[in-house]
Amino acid sequence: MAEHVLELKHITMQFGGVVAVDDLSMHIDQGEIVALIGPNGAGKTTAFNCVTGVYTPTSGQVLYHGRLIVSNRPEGRMKTLYAGSQKDHPAEVVVNTPDRITKLGLARTFQNIRLFKTQTVFENVLIATHLHRTSNLLTATLRLNWREEREMREEVLNLLEVVGLKDARDELATSLPYGKQRRLEIARALATRPKLLLLDEPAAGMNPQETDSLALFIKQIKDRFALTVFLIEHHMDLVMDISDRIYVIDFGRLIAHGAPHEVQDDPDVINAYLGVDEE
Amino acid sequence: MKKTRITLIVLFTLCALALIIFSLSVKDSLPGLLDRMDAEQTATQDDKMLKARDRVLESIREGDRSKILRNLERYTSGWADRLDLNGEIGLELFFFRNGPSLTALGLFLLAAAVAMALSVLDRKGRFRKAAPPLMLIAAVYTGVYILENVVGSDSMLMTVLEKGAIFALIAVSMNLLNGFTGLFSLGQAGFMLIGAYTYAIFTIETGTRPQVYQYYAGGLVQFTLPALVSIGLAGLAAAFFAFLIGLPVLRLKSDYLAIATLGFAEIIRAVFQYDGLGPITNGSNLLRKFATYDTVLFPFVIAGVCIALIALIINSTYGRSFKAIRDDEIAAEAMGINLFRHKQMAFVISSFFAGIGGALLAMYQTTVQAAAFTSAMTYEILLIVVIGGMGSVTGSVIASFLFVAASEWWLRFLDNEQMIGSFQVPLLRSGFRMVVFSVVIMAVVLFYRKGIMGDRELSIKRLTSRLSLRKGGLKNG
Ligand SMILES: Nc1ncnc2c1ncn2[C@@H]1O[C@H](COP(=O)(O)OP(=O)(O)OP(=O)(O)O)[C@@H](O)[C@H]1O
Ligand SMILES: [Mg+2]
Repeated sequence: MAEHVLELKHITMQFGGVVAVDDLSMHIDQGEIVALIGPNGAGKTTAFNCVTGVYTPTSGQVLYHGRLIVSNRPEGRMKTLYAGSQKDHPAEVVVNTPDRITKLGLARTFQNIRLFKTQTVFENVLIATHLHRTSNLLTATLRLNWREEREMREEVLNLLEVVGLKDARDELATSLPYGKQRRLEIARALATRPKLLLLDEPAAGMNPQETDSLALFIKQIKDRFALTVFLIEHHMDLVMDISDRIYVIDFGRLIAHGAPHEVQDDPDVINAYLGVDEE
Repeated sequence: MKKTRITLIVLFTLCALALIIFSLSVKDSLPGLLDRMDAEQTATQDDKMLKARDRVLESIREGDRSKILRNLERYTSGWADRLDLNGEIGLELFFFRNGPSLTALGLFLLAAAVAMALSVLDRKGRFRKAAPPLMLIAAVYTGVYILENVVGSDSMLMTVLEKGAIFALIAVSMNLLNGFTGLFSLGQAGFMLIGAYTYAIFTIETGTRPQVYQYYAGGLVQFTLPALVSIGLAGLAAAFFAFLIGLPVLRLKSDYLAIATLGFAEIIRAVFQYDGLGPITNGSNLLRKFATYDTVLFPFVIAGVCIALIALIINSTYGRSFKAIRDDEIAAEAMGINLFRHKQMAFVISSFFAGIGGALLAMYQTTVQAAAFTSAMTYEILLIVVIGGMGSVTGSVIASFLFVAASEWWLRFLDNEQMIGSFQVPLLRSGFRMVVFSVVIMAVVLFYRKGIMGDRELSIKRLTSRLSLRKGGLKNG
């Protein structure tokens, strides 16, 4: 069996008494576009944050190409506070900071856009090439790395061309319209040369036309950069259009998964979205 | 357009060559000049004049230029009624007096001509873009050199320029951390202290150590290092302390750095005055008799090189990462930037240059005492950074000269009681200067929220385009 690009094993994330993600297991294979959906506050972003190292999950493991990148079990106060449904915990503790996870080949965008506010479009993307540098402080200061610097700049210009922001390269990032800021965030993530791209609600705030072109755009970059895509999204049309498989969570718990048409007709999913639950 | 430029180039080159050749040729011509002055005399010389003439000749033999000039001044002023000093002899005297200045001016003009010629030839335009700022810098340095020769290095103007250059370096180093990396640190005075002491301790002449360390049996360090090496060591010592402080503190997310560095600065000030360390630090006594500089150009060159290095760092891939951390830590980390590493780098670099600034300050003061490096000094520098603009190197530089000039010079008159006729001007008395100064600062901070420069840099292009805009507007109106 080919190993998965990304695998989550029994991930539980508990904030104080709130279990935001409860025993979430899922996997993504090479070249897939997989969506994670669920009502507001279901724990989607939290799941992303557990994968990218922003949070360390209370319990569970994350594997990337079969390699354990995150692993934790409840410790200290959490031992008594723990309220997740999964009672078996992994033995190892593995913690990685977000920058190290990005270096492994996972790059992300943010639900509430996080561009570098004082920097131009070009500089925003250029900053994301920093992790591939071979220069050190001395060679970079004395510009002995000029060849690498030139290559970086060319790469960034290429990326901006791909996302259609080449003409706006000298504008302040925050002066762009919303849709373009989202594209810029994707370009910035691509500049880290990821293998797995995590997009947190890339269509949020976009109008229908922009959303349509975004679907096409995601497919294009997936093919062009040989990516695997993990996506959180509320626009159902977009999700149904581009996803190979969908995972649905509600109150942190996985309630359904499968191909788009399977999920679409699942009674649990319809309940969760329409709020017919007794809750 | 091109024609006028070529005419200018030729003109500049000719002027430059004339200046250089003429100022160099009169360098050793003073004895001959004196003879010619004798030949032109209209009255017989008296004893006094002859004695003055001998004194000039004697100082020429000694070779001390400032002494020659002083004696020459005395001699020629005695001649004023007997000799027409406006003619050829006067011109030659003028060239002799201002020889080095005129040579410097000639060299600058030559450089300007070469730069212009290169700009004309330069197809890619890369040099054309770099030339104006480089020439501006060259102009500033030439100007300082000439000023020093004309007004003398003891004048208030020179004092302000010296201190301004040193404070500019320290302010820029603080800006690197507070303005460009978004880390709020208040330890600048502490790092300056370490730099100043390191420099002073290693450059006191071995022979004078018993005198300086009179209460500590001549002190522990019994060798002397060259000044430049000691300046480097001053930076390294400060950087080392920053490294140690950063290890625990920079891993914390919030503003513990401000508290930790402020505490560090206070503690280090006490430690350096501690009697037990006397054999090294001389306890609470002054350190003195260490190597200093004898031209204002020295602090200008050192500070200039350091500021240039900081600017290069800021515009490198590392500087971009610092700015990314300032703008959004979480996004920066998600882009693969190791927060701790880069914060540590910024902190250590900033402290390194603060240490060098401290060494220069020691040279400027000619004595060092730990008690002077209070947190008020840090706040003064912070104020300069804020006035200049957080995130603007040129802003910090301009603000530091303005700040030093205002506090040391322009407002001095407020401290002296003054009479207009028999009317005593109210309020003018010792201490009033600081009141006015504070009000001025407050006004600046209120009306220029982001400082003089904001986070932009001074650019000649923007200045000239604004000027030409204004001219155009006048024409239209
Ligand atoms: N740092 C935190 N501390 C405490 N509670 C948190 C934290 N982060 C998230 N939560 C809680 O976890 C739950 C899940 O939040 P999360 O942001 O993951 O939802 P989401 O599925 O992304 O929702 P949305 O669709 O609105 O983005 C929420 O109840 C939220 O209040
Ligand atoms: Mg979310």
